[in-house]
Order: sequence, then C-alpha cells, then structure tokens
Amino acid sequence: MQLNTDASSSLEKSKKTKRVMSLEKKESLQGYLFIAPWIIGFLVFMAGPLLFSLYGSFTNYNITSKMDFIGIENYIKMFTNDPLIWISLKNTLYYVALSVPLTTAGAVLLSVLLNQGVRGTRIFRTIYYLPAVLSGVGVYLLWMQLLSPSSGLVNTLLGWVGIEGPAWLSDPAWTKPALIFMKLWSLGGGMLLYLASLQGVSQSLYEAAEIDGANSFRKFWHITVPMITPVIFFDLVTSFIGAFQIFQEAYVMSDSGDGGPANSLVFFNLHMWNKAFEVFDMGYAMAMSWFLFIIILVLTVFNLVLAPRWVHYEGEDKK
Amino acid sequence: MSSLKKSISMLLLLVLSLGTILAGCGGGDEAGSEGKTDTASGSDGEVVEIDFWTFWGSETRRPIIEKIIEDFNSSQDRIKVKHTYLPWGDIWTKNLASIAAGNPADLIINDINAVAHRAQNNQNTNLSKYLEQEPEIKDRFFPELYNATLYEGDPYALPFNTDTRFLFWNKDMFEKAGLDPETPPTTWAELEEMGKKLDVKNGDKYERIGYLPNYGISSDVWMINADGKGYWDFEANKPVINDEKNVEALTWFKNYYDYYGDKVINSFKAEFGEQTADPFVAEKLAITTDNANFYTKLRDYGEDINFGVAPLPAMEEGSGNASWGGGFVAEIPKGAKHPDEAWEFLKYLTDVQAQEYWAVQGFDIVANIEAGEKASQSSELSEDGQKVFAQAVENMNQTLITPTPLEAPDYINIINPELEAVLLGDKTPQEALDAAQKAVEDLVESNK
Repeated sequence: MQLNTDASSSLEKSKKTKRVMSLEKKESLQGYLFIAPWIIGFLVFMAGPLLFSLYGSFTNYNITSKMDFIGIENYIKMFTNDPLIWISLKNTLYYVALSVPLTTAGAVLLSVLLNQGVRGTRIFRTIYYLPAVLSGVGVYLLWMQLLSPSSGLVNTLLGWVGIEGPAWLSDPAWTKPALIFMKLWSLGGGMLLYLASLQGVSQSLYEAAEIDGANSFRKFWHITVPMITPVIFFDLVTSFIGAFQIFQEAYVMSDSGDGGPANSLVFFNLHMWNKAFEVFDMGYAMAMSWFLFIIILVLTVFNLVLAPRWVHYEGEDKK
Repeated sequence: MSSLKKSISMLLLLVLSLGTILAGCGGGDEAGSEGKTDTASGSDGEVVEIDFWTFWGSETRRPIIEKIIEDFNSSQDRIKVKHTYLPWGDIWTKNLASIAAGNPADLIINDINAVAHRAQNNQNTNLSKYLEQEPEIKDRFFPELYNATLYEGDPYALPFNTDTRFLFWNKDMFEKAGLDPETPPTTWAELEEMGKKLDVKNGDKYERIGYLPNYGISSDVWMINADGKGYWDFEANKPVINDEKNVEALTWFKNYYDYYGDKVINSFKAEFGEQTADPFVAEKLAITTDNANFYTKLRDYGEDINFGVAPLPAMEEGSGNASWGGGFVAEIPKGAKHPDEAWEFLKYLTDVQAQEYWAVQGFDIVANIEAGEKASQSSELSEDGQKVFAQAVENMNQTLITPTPLEAPDYINIINPELEAVLLGDKTPQEALDAAQKAVEDLVESNK
C-alpha cells in the first residue's frame, strides 16, 4: 500500500493518499465519523466527569475553595461517622426490594390481560400507557393531593369499602409504601415491552400445548413466561438500577426536600444531593456516588450470573 | 500493518476533532476575557452592565424588583442593572457552578443563614473595604440581620428582607367562645387553655381547633421562644440542643400535641397543606402562629375575618416573647467582574426608598429599619395591613436569626428527625434532645 512506504507521511503525501483511499478505508472513516458525536459526547460529558468524580472522591473538594487529596478519608467517614447513610441505604433497599418485583409482576400481568384480544385493547393500552408519558414533578404533586389523608381520593375510595386509609405521606410507616404505590401507576412503559414480546410468541406453541390438553394456566406458566424471560430480565435489570437511583420523588414529596417525616424518605441519592449541594461537601458526595456504583455493579453482576438459570432464549442450545 | 496504521490515523482524526472543539472553547474564553477588559475600563464614561440574579419571578414579586431596578437605572447613567430570574430550585446551584467556572453574576439574592459558610468557601466577596468607607450603612439594618452576614468579623453580604413569627387570633371566635376578643394569650398556659376552649367538636371529629401545635411553627420555634436561644451557642461555639429549657419546651409541646394526637393533626395539616388553603383563613382555626406575610392571605381570601396580632406567648410571665426569623441577603459572588458597580446597586437596594417600596408592594418585612417603620405607616396599606406590619417591625427586636454554624452545616438534618421521633412517641424529649446533641457534637468532631 502506498501509505506503507512512508510512515511519517508529509502533508503532500497524505493528500495523495486521500485521493486513492481504498473503499475499505473510506467506509471505516465514515463509520468513525458517524459515531464521532457519541464518542466525543461520551468522552467529554461522561468519561471526563466520571474520572473527575473518582478523583474528587479522594479529596475534600467543595466546588469553590479547596481540593486537597485526603486519601480514603471520605470512605472511612462513610463507614464510621455518618449514621444517616445507613438509614438512607436501608430506605433505598426497602424501596428496591418492593417496587421492582411489584412493578415487574404488575406489568407482566397487565400485558397478558391486554393480550387476550378483547375488544377495546387499543384504548386500554393507550390508557395504561398514558401515565408513563406524564412525567416528574407534576405527577408527584398530583399524587400528594390524591394521598392526602382525609380529603384525598385514595382514602375516600378506601373509605367507601370500609377501610380507614393511613396518613400516607405524613406517617413514616406509610411513606415508602405510598411511593411504591404511586410508582405502580406508571408501569405502562414496561407493559408495552411485554406486550410486544407477547405478540412475538409463536401461536404454534400454544396449539401444540392445547393438543396435549394443557389448561390456560399451564400454557401461561410453561410457554408464555419462558418465552418472555429475556424481556423480563432486561426490565428487571434496568428497573433495578433505576430504583436504586430514586431521588426526585422523595425530594418533591417530603417537606422542604429533607426526606422527612422521621427520615423515612431519605434515600441514598437524596442524602448524597444534600451533602453535595446543601453543605458543599462535594468530595464526600462523590465518594458516596462511587459507593452506590459499586453496590449496583455487584448486584447487576449477580443478576447476570443468575440469568442463565431462568432466562430462556429461543433457539438456544441448553446443555 | 495497514490496519494498525488505519486505527492510528483514525485516532488522530478523533484527537484532532476533539482538539478543534477544545480550541473552540478556548477561543470563547479568550473572547470572554477580552470583553472583560473592555467593560472594566468603563469607569470613564462608558455604561457598565451588571447582572443581578434573583428567584423572584412570580406575578407579585417580579414587577416590584424590576421597578426598583428601573428606578436605579434611570437615577444615574453609569451602571445598568440587568435582572436575571432563575427559579428557586436552580439559582443557588447555578451560582455555585458559575463561581467555579469564574463567570458568576455581579449580585445575587441568597440565603441569610449560610453567608458565613459561603464566605468560608470563597463563594462571596468581602465587603469590608466598602463598609469602611461608608460605615454608617451598617446602621440601616436590624442588628440581628447585619450580624448574620459576618464571617470572622467582616461582612460578606447586606441583608435584604426577613420574616418573623407571631400570633394571629380570630376576635369573633373569641367572643363567641366567651373570651375577651381583645385579649390574646400571653403565656403558654393561657394559649393552651384558650385554645382548648375554642375547640368545636362534632362527635369525634373536630370542626374547629383553637390552636394547633405543629401547624405554622413547630417545636423548634417554641424552644427558641422559651429562652431566646437557638441550638447553637455562638460565643462558646458549641451546640446547646439539650439544655434544660429546650427539654421543658419540647415536653410542653409534645403534651399539647398529644391532646389532639397524630391522626387529627396529620389529617388537618394535610388537608390544608396547599398554599392557598389555610385553616385560619378557612375559619377552622381560631389562633395561628405565622409569618408576617401571612397577612396577604387574610387580605386576599379572608376579608371578613376580624383578627388581631400579638407577639408569641411567653413560656411564663416575663420570660420573653422571642421569635424566630430567616431572610435573604444580597451579595457579590466571588469573582464577579464588576464588584464596585455591584456595590453601588447593593447600596441602593438596601436604602430606604427601595426597601420601603419592596415592603409595601410585596408586604414583606425588610432589613432596613427606617424603611420598615415608614412602610408600617404607608397610606398604601389598609388599617389591618399597617397593624400587622407594625407588629412585625416591633417583633424584629426579639426575633432570633439562626445562622448555620460553620462547624455543623447540616445540623438541622440531624436534629429534625429526633424531634419527629418525639412526636411519634418513639423517644422522650430528653432522650431525643440528648441524642441530637451527641450527634451534632460528633458531626462537629468529624468536620474538624
């Protein structure tokens, strides 16, 4: 190749080579050009800040006045001198452990129901998906009204069936269940995924099962569920990661964003935010974020290791 | 070989394109600093534009602050103030980021309680060189407010507005309950006694409550009220959370709270949690303790309510009617390009004319003493308005500001859950305050 003749190609030479650039080269150049925005974006807006925060976690960085290397002091402080971090971790785990299975099961159930082919499926699909489109703070404020203890719609409805509803967001024992309950409302996003995968399940499998005399529960359990496990797995992993990062809900729905009452809504990220932007202890907050990262990483790896035991890919050769 | 070369050249391309981007950024910076030198020479004749950040974007506040700015701009031709509105949730994180980036506003409205904290962290500008030239300026302000702007003896901001809590009572309800409508409670015992007399019950349900503990103000204010001291002893520089008076106050508060119980209070609070609905305005509450600014709700939604205002009741006769307040300051972020011009505007902003205008139009208690006194006699306020404003100005003499101690910036986050534990019945007042005291001491230790 011409390029090989002179490694330290002068400007003239490189001009020449440009002209006779091979097709292969052109293609790869175009390829790199096409992914360049992402790569640049990743390097500048992700990898850069990521590395910075890793370094920052070993300093007493406070944004404006100091950034001295202090070794692993932040990490030591985390384990020895911050009782709130354990409360926040406990709250977060509580939330993850309840909300992830519930939303996943709810979404699967809902999509199976919608997949029965009854009339009006499209309308129901839209209705159930709608909450997933509405986002953020507006919805939370709406729910704060719905969950109001004496005049809220939720407790009014409960009252009709003779149940005296709890004080939801004012009672520390009910704040997290209230949040989980609220999150169930927006499981339409997951539902849509399942619906798509359900429609991909081959009818011939059901027909074969019917010939063998399988009832509808057995068909669901032995055909539907295994066939959609890849999607369940995907949904589980992503909502797992998402649930660990819960922040907005608690920030908006507790008095002045402090995670009250009685610290019942102090989630890990809320505590981190307070450390970073309320008291400017940015180095410590960075250390906290890396701690959370490691927790999520370990659990996700654990998930991936467990996956082959229950996730079934069509056409896969199981040994 | 060729594939290696290829990847090297691709890498080069990537680096080059990155380089271009960075160069672009660098270019921007240069242009920025050139611009700076240009305007810095503006002192001889040219107009200097300064950027003023506030979070006042509401229909009521925005026109007021913009009128003040307009008045200033037309009062001279050297400095032009530009108002930048940033939402409450963003303004201070944006400020922080812009200071770190070396391109902050020239003047910003910020929280009064953390002035020293920001000073310690190089986020605002020491104003002592200006105040040394014009020492009389500091006498404009309520001393408690001015003192809150000091860090190591130097001022880093000037107070702008403030607030103070006191008592509002419904005279008609007093009369109907057989109480003297002109005599508000003056001690805690009286408050409790009158409050209970004013309750109206329908079966098990409260139709009206006399006074609701934990509504409007919570136990923290009553602890201040008890002995005129907050959680922190600034002279000894240590927390005094579990002192005797605080335990007594919290015990009283808890007992009064239990008289109604969680359920009644929570549902009452949640029902009126929204800004527009207030139980006092809705005539479901006969006595309330609130901010001076609460009057605007009465004015706008409770026209028929015949009310009076009085200081917070004292713990015992003669123990004082201390109250609690907060507020905002105006300060020059560290690294601002036009500190001198910002100072000129800062002086105007805290002077009588601007402060009186702010006070009257926004019904807000201002830091300038003279402006507050003038506002309380302003013909633009109704009789009720004047009455409330005068009470607020008077109340300022016994209002405590609680700046965040440098050694324990997030101490409130530690104390509040303990207070909540008391109300939930998980801890006795003594246990909770002891625990809070110890936790804050530990926090101080770990921040050393």
